[in-house]
Amino acid sequence: MKADEASLGQLAALAQRGDRAAYAAFLREAQLWLRRYFVRRVGAEFLDDLVQETLLSIHAKLSSYDPHRPLLPWLAAIARYRWVDQLRRIYRAQEDALSEELPCEDDEPEIAARISLDRLFSYLPEGQVRAIELVKIEGLSVTEAAAASGQSESLVKVNIHRGLKKLATLIEKA
Amino acid sequence: MIRNPDPLIDSLISQLAPVRPMRLSTGLGRTALSLAAAIGLVVAMLGLRGDATPLVLLSSGLFLVLGAAASVTVIMMGRPRVGSEHSGWLWAAAMAALLPATTLLMGLIHGPTAWAESDPATGMACLAMGLLFGLATASVLVAWLRRGAPTSPARAGLITGIAAGSFGIFAFSFHCPSNDLYHIGVWHSLSVIVAAVIGRVIVPRLIRW
Repeated sequence: MKADEASLGQLAALAQRGDRAAYAAFLREAQLWLRRYFVRRVGAEFLDDLVQETLLSIHAKLSSYDPHRPLLPWLAAIARYRWVDQLRRIYRAQEDALSEELPCEDDEPEIAARISLDRLFSYLPEGQVRAIELVKIEGLSVTEAAAASGQSESLVKVNIHRGLKKLATLIEKA
Repeated sequence: MIRNPDPLIDSLISQLAPVRPMRLSTGLGRTALSLAAAIGLVVAMLGLRGDATPLVLLSSGLFLVLGAAASVTVIMMGRPRVGSEHSGWLWAAAMAALLPATTLLMGLIHGPTAWAESDPATGMACLAMGLLFGLATASVLVAWLRRGAPTSPARAGLITGIAAGSFGIFAFSFHCPSNDLYHIGVWHSLSVIVAAVIGRVIVPRLIRW
């Protein structure tokens, strides 16, 4: 069963008061939500690490959630920060298969659209998106990405650099 | 439903301790206290200035508003959420920038002699005092950001510096005896700018994720 946002928020509020049962339920639901959130925008081999890093950040920054406000925008802000941080660290991964195991359905399409990772990419020029997708997500080398995208190698590097810099500024804004 | 055990989640659950949510009112209260403490220190240690001209009141008001807007932004940045712009402080900064802009314009109109009353040594002292008394606000906001989850640490550092510099020079204005446009427009504004640069460089290194 998938918990709705209000229930998740209540679980997080109880966790802030030290309720371990609520925290366990919250973390498990958050883990599932994060896997769905990241699955199309991260290489399959990096998905588990990214979910775990985000769960660690949620644990460390639990007090930054205001229980009077919706939970998903908070969760998504932390997830986006971790995602951009990982994109900056990943380079030249070899496997390019994207996982299709997990469905990406969501019960709240408006919120999902607002907080999605795809929305972040919509603020970037196509060339930057393509370079980041090919090198940082699909794991191609710069040379392979240049051949696949029709960009020069130096342009691929510049597009990745500029694109990641721009993504970092859009984490909450976009 | 039986779930597969997850060592990470089990570990996080075992480490859970109650935490107090970072409420906006708490952040605002602490920042206001830091400003009150800085003003109290200025008055107690250096004494209150004798008079206050309209220029002093107006410039101090601009720094107070800029400090407040920047502080609110930093407090909000500690509690991230998708959909937050964090851009309200820019309007206050634009208003406060009218002060040095006007000073430069008047300096250009009246020529080099207009700057004669603005003694650089006195100006440097004011700049340093603004930074010193801004430390109270800076320490409160940095502690807030370290506990929070700012998704743009560099920007948070810059705005923290602006908040601290603005409140610091506002507090020192209670003592600074100058009524001179060139002194206030240049050196008091510089205190904010230097604090912003320091915040941009240092604060991101103090933020932990």
